[in-house]
Amino acid sequence: MEDFLYFFTFQDPSITWVVLGITLLGIGSAYVGTFSFLDKKALLGDAISHAVLPGICLGFALAGEKDPRYIVTGAFLSGALATFLSSWLKKNTKLSEDSIIASILSIFFGIGIVFLTVLQKSGNPEIAGLNSFIFGNAIGIAEADLLVYGGLSLTIILVLSLFLKEFRLMVFDPNFGQAIGFPIQGIRFIFNVLMILAVVIGIQAIGVVLMAALLITPAAAARFWTNRLSTLLLLAGLFSVISGIMGTYISFVLPKMPTGPWVVVFLSLIALLSFLVAPKSGLLPRMLSRRRYIKQMHRDHLMKALYKAKEAEQAYLSLEEIHALYPFHRNDIQQSLNLLLRQGFVVQNTAGVCLTAKGVSDAMRIVRLHRLWELYLNEFLHIAPDHVHESAEQMEHLLTPELEAMLEQRLNYPALDPHQVTIPREAHDR
Amino acid sequence: MITQVSQPVLEVHDLTVSYEQHPVLWNVDLSLPAGKLIGILGPNGAGKSTLIKSIMGLITPTSGYIKIFDKALPEVRSRISYVPQRESVDWNFPASVLDVVVMGTYGKLGLFRRPGKKEIQVAQDALEQVGMTAFAGRQIAELSGGQQQRVFIARALAQQADLYLMDEPFAGVDMATETAIFQLLQDMTAAGKTVLVVHHDIHSAMNFFDWVIMLNLHLVASGPKEQVMTEELLRKTYGGKLNLLTQVTDLIRKQDFNPLKR
Repeated sequence: MEDFLYFFTFQDPSITWVVLGITLLGIGSAYVGTFSFLDKKALLGDAISHAVLPGICLGFALAGEKDPRYIVTGAFLSGALATFLSSWLKKNTKLSEDSIIASILSIFFGIGIVFLTVLQKSGNPEIAGLNSFIFGNAIGIAEADLLVYGGLSLTIILVLSLFLKEFRLMVFDPNFGQAIGFPIQGIRFIFNVLMILAVVIGIQAIGVVLMAALLITPAAAARFWTNRLSTLLLLAGLFSVISGIMGTYISFVLPKMPTGPWVVVFLSLIALLSFLVAPKSGLLPRMLSRRRYIKQMHRDHLMKALYKAKEAEQAYLSLEEIHALYPFHRNDIQQSLNLLLRQGFVVQNTAGVCLTAKGVSDAMRIVRLHRLWELYLNEFLHIAPDHVHESAEQMEHLLTPELEAMLEQRLNYPALDPHQVTIPREAHDR
Repeated sequence: MITQVSQPVLEVHDLTVSYEQHPVLWNVDLSLPAGKLIGILGPNGAGKSTLIKSIMGLITPTSGYIKIFDKALPEVRSRISYVPQRESVDWNFPASVLDVVVMGTYGKLGLFRRPGKKEIQVAQDALEQVGMTAFAGRQIAELSGGQQQRVFIARALAQQADLYLMDEPFAGVDMATETAIFQLLQDMTAAGKTVLVVHHDIHSAMNFFDWVIMLNLHLVASGPKEQVMTEELLRKTYGGKLNLLTQVTDLIRKQDFNPLKR
């Protein structure tokens, strides 16, 4: 708790710096990532982030120390080489895009690890810090480094905001963009530069292995919540910043903990949560609406059974008779019955269950929808009368009053369904 | 049966186009009059879309050139409007109908400038013309095929051009919408615009177009509808394979070297 307060009250100026840095970095990478996610180029980010490792090592070897200018330049150049190679290979060979990306990722990363091992054997005392580039260490970043990474993040955010219209066009409809004379190739080039930069800014804080997660996961999680690009960008940025700060906090509390994996853990939690509870597209809301539908279905079936009994001059149905009608849904039917009793659609006494006046009117509606739909299938879709019941059994729960009115109008307020049974209506509607 | 016109809106001169080592259009040479509704007919793989894309500069031809309003494309780009095939974009992209139609004004806006009130007004007028005003705020993912097509046409209208190139704007569109769109295109040509449409239905082509281009790897016909919509020319376009031309194409592909490219 003490640590928590110490960290989040920002008493320590170095923590303030780190949090500011990780915020900028989070927003920048989430922005770029959102576009590459929408452009279905998620894997490219992964390849680039692994591919910067040889550049980092070369930058370190040239500078002889952890100079951010050398390291960033090295990382950028090696990321650029990987990006160029992947598009060159795609254009000039028959290899599929995923094999190209997988090869580039593993080859560059492999070379990077070789360089790293060689450097470790060199005995340079500065080398210890280099390991943090693999999994990231946000707390270990010096203020001077932060200026470089933060500045780059800010540049990314500014350029993206400036080119918002152009990038939107590049992702949605590049052919049209080219047709109206926009330099789509050039815009794509700038985007690729931003993408490499977005990876480079994260190498120290998040690490090369997991940087791709910070690019793509925020957008993927945010996509569950919104259909608007502006909201998508904001949410992705927010998710990314939250996970970034939480990951940094963990690194602060547990000194040997790398930041990258924890950022990814928090990001995954947010993504999982979005997947589960986001309205409409989330798993839980979808399950709930399905349950609601099934409940409605059982309720409607019970009402219909009571109404049909009434049509056959039998006012009451005993519990046994009801359960005999739906032998496989005893519990569901009992639940529906309890609900209907509470809502005053039915009454129960020693003779059994009976519809109230309110119940009759509602049951009539369901039966009417069922028979109208049967007639519609029969008359307009030319389906034989003995084949229409199944579909009507499903549609009777779905049809809205508007559709009911349309059916009535199309069928010209019919009296009988295809089985020559009366379609019931309220007295004032007849 | 190829009718050339004087003072053409569009002149395609001896155009040959290849994809990789694969020629798809052979020596197309035609000129088109202004203010007409023009259909491009031909079987699948005849090179209809390729012709439109070449005119739009999306494909670099192997040989030949194109002149629009007697000028090269870059000089007159703002006077040309292009409707790509509906399937060429991802309709799950997070955007509203209005967002997409506003893209039609990007050409005149140029780089960096953001669309403002004026551009939104232009987009809304275009939506009204295609009868989609009520859908302005709707997500494009929720549209039906015919509605998506109308959004694309509205975007083209928002370009306020003089020559319209439309790639299969009637694919996946119901009859009522098709008639409504044709009516709109006829109004446009009556106002002096030229509209070039890639189309696949011979029957409606007969009813609506003024001028018809028939393609099947090469130019079969180009001229006023009454003159070119003959049984003989239609059979030449659709019926029977062009055995020799297809075999030459295959030969070039196998050689892995395209002698048509210089």
